[in-house]
Amino acid sequence: VKIFGFHLMPYPDLPREHLDSTDSSWVTLTNALFDPRQGHALYQRYLAELVSYDRAGFDGLCVNEHHQTPYGLMPSPNVVAALLVPQTSCQIAILGNALPLRDHPLRVAEEVAMLDVISGGRIISGFVRGIGAEYHTFGIDPAASRERFYEAHDLIVKAWTQPGPFEWYGKHYKVRYVNPWPRPLQQPHPPIWSPSQGSGETVDWAAQHRYTYLQTYSDIATVRRVFDDFRAAAQGYGYTAPPEQIGWAVPTFVADTDERAEAIALPALDMLFNRLIRMPKDFFFPAGYLTLTSSTRVMGSKTGLGSGNVDVRQFVERGYALIGSPETVRQKFEAYQKELGFGCFSGIFQFGSLGHEQFLDSLNLFAAKVMPAIRDLGAPTPSP
Amino acid sequence: MTTIRSAQVSLPTPTEHSIDVRGRRVRLAKAGAGAPVVYLHGSGDLGGWGRALSLLARDFTVYRPDHPGFNLSDEDPSVDSVLDMAFSYLDLFDSLGLDRPSLIGVSFGGWLAAQIAVLAPARIAKVVLVDAAGLRADIPTPDIFTLSPVQHAELLYHRPVLRNPAIAVAEKIQDDAGLFQRYLRNRMATAHLAWNPYFHDPKLPGRLHRLTAPVLVVWGAQDRLLPVGYAHRWMEALGPADGPVDGPADGPVGSGARLDSPARLEIIDNAGHLPAAEQPDTFAALVREFLSEEKPA
Repeated sequence: VKIFGFHLMPYPDLPREHLDSTDSSWVTLTNALFDPRQGHALYQRYLAELVSYDRAGFDGLCVNEHHQTPYGLMPSPNVVAALLVPQTSCQIAILGNALPLRDHPLRVAEEVAMLDVISGGRIISGFVRGIGAEYHTFGIDPAASRERFYEAHDLIVKAWTQPGPFEWYGKHYKVRYVNPWPRPLQQPHPPIWSPSQGSGETVDWAAQHRYTYLQTYSDIATVRRVFDDFRAAAQGYGYTAPPEQIGWAVPTFVADTDERAEAIALPALDMLFNRLIRMPKDFFFPAGYLTLTSSTRVMGSKTGLGSGNVDVRQFVERGYALIGSPETVRQKFEAYQKELGFGCFSGIFQFGSLGHEQFLDSLNLFAAKVMPAIRDLGAPTPSP
Repeated sequence: MTTIRSAQVSLPTPTEHSIDVRGRRVRLAKAGAGAPVVYLHGSGDLGGWGRALSLLARDFTVYRPDHPGFNLSDEDPSVDSVLDMAFSYLDLFDSLGLDRPSLIGVSFGGWLAAQIAVLAPARIAKVVLVDAAGLRADIPTPDIFTLSPVQHAELLYHRPVLRNPAIAVAEKIQDDAGLFQRYLRNRMATAHLAWNPYFHDPKLPGRLHRLTAPVLVVWGAQDRLLPVGYAHRWMEALGPADGPVDGPADGPVGSGARLDSPARLEIIDNAGHLPAAEQPDTFAALVREFLSEEKPA
């Protein structure tokens, strides 16, 4: 299993009145609450934490893109990736650029190619649609989200792989001269990952393009179902998806005992799931963001992520987070890996309100006592 | 002067039709006889008919189509804007063989009615704009794309006798599969047309001088989705109610102000965003009178 470290860069120092309310933490939570001096200190700390994944021997680190929220202070994952390139030697997974939110996909093609060339080919390029709330942020029509995503992706990959200049006349993007300099170093292009919570369309799309599919924020039952769907979709496209094409991203926390791990992790998970990921349904899933079939299912439900009333202990039991002593985490990991067959693991070691020392202790314990035992799981078996 | 006839007299009831428009199906309800009137529904309208339309059907042939992509009409892939939808409606009028219909447009449908009348003024007899979207004013409005069905129902109606049942339906909307599908479908189609700019077209005011048909603007006095200030914004954009605008008569028409066929404004009290639903008799009487006039006031 390839092991990645994910960081959300949260801004947890919010007033009690907000934390205790049911108000959204996205889109409308006033940015007057953001203290730039505090932000400066947090960025220094978080960048050092991201570098510590590399120092601890991880295969890669993950950054992502979110907007107008204390959930994460990375509106531009490419900026954060650029800061990390000279400080690290591992892979850097950008999970991802939210293509439909960008005015022009060729800016993404250029920026990711720059990072790939500068880093010597260490970039993994994730592509996402952005979460629903971010369609409010930018006033982008959520009903056109999928179309824009597909077209932007097609344009970027063509720009990376076909000599320019060429013309592009799509529905959403029209360019007389597609000819970005630089081109990426990795050939034919940087690995593309597709992070998702398991929408059927995305699972199928990732399988079709043979991209690495990364499941985020889900219970184990859902992870199992989605990975099975992904493998079935791959078979439908005429190939068997290898483990390295299947990834699982999950909040992870290790302490010397299970009790201590829970005592520290549960309040931080509560901050994550009930305070930072909290918004009305019509922010999370704006009109047209989901297909009619998906929205019939999702909009009818009154619980789950975003509702602010998640039972975090139960969430941990259902596998939304990997928490415990090194022994517990190793055992769970081995069982999950055997059952689910993933070949990429992205541990979210920084989440919610975890302090710097808590993060480092957990990371170091994981690196020393869990990582050596799990690294070789799911390694491709030599063909007979 | 119009008189409101006794409620005992049975009202026309609509028949359902499925019309082929260049290969797409448009679901349409129709009732009455007389000059054609096309009712253009609002974005949250789940396909109902209502007393006001039956009252009008005594004197007119009332057509109530579902917009492309809304309720039970097929999607029209060529529709990415209200202007696109206006073109689609000209095709529908051709399919129905409608000769200069009048338009009644409610909320989103009002925006659409104005857009159709600007696009093809010769095809439209008269226009009734009811709590119409389409223009922007510096008046705060709720963002309906952030509202739950219950919050939306609360803001939609003024009279508790209508609001409370609407809230009760909204609370359980996901239990009624057909209704819920229409709700989600309309919500999606509306986002595609009205997400940004929010329920308006910045170019519409500069084109309203092309709307030559007589216009009646009707507004619910207690509208909380598009407050009555928007009615005055429409009146301003459509031109002065009495007499020519200040300044040289041959000056630029960039504001959209019109010197002829001025619009008339009627504000209906004890009504929110849907005066036709909240005060159907008053609404129908006003509209009937306007549509029956030989000449604009």
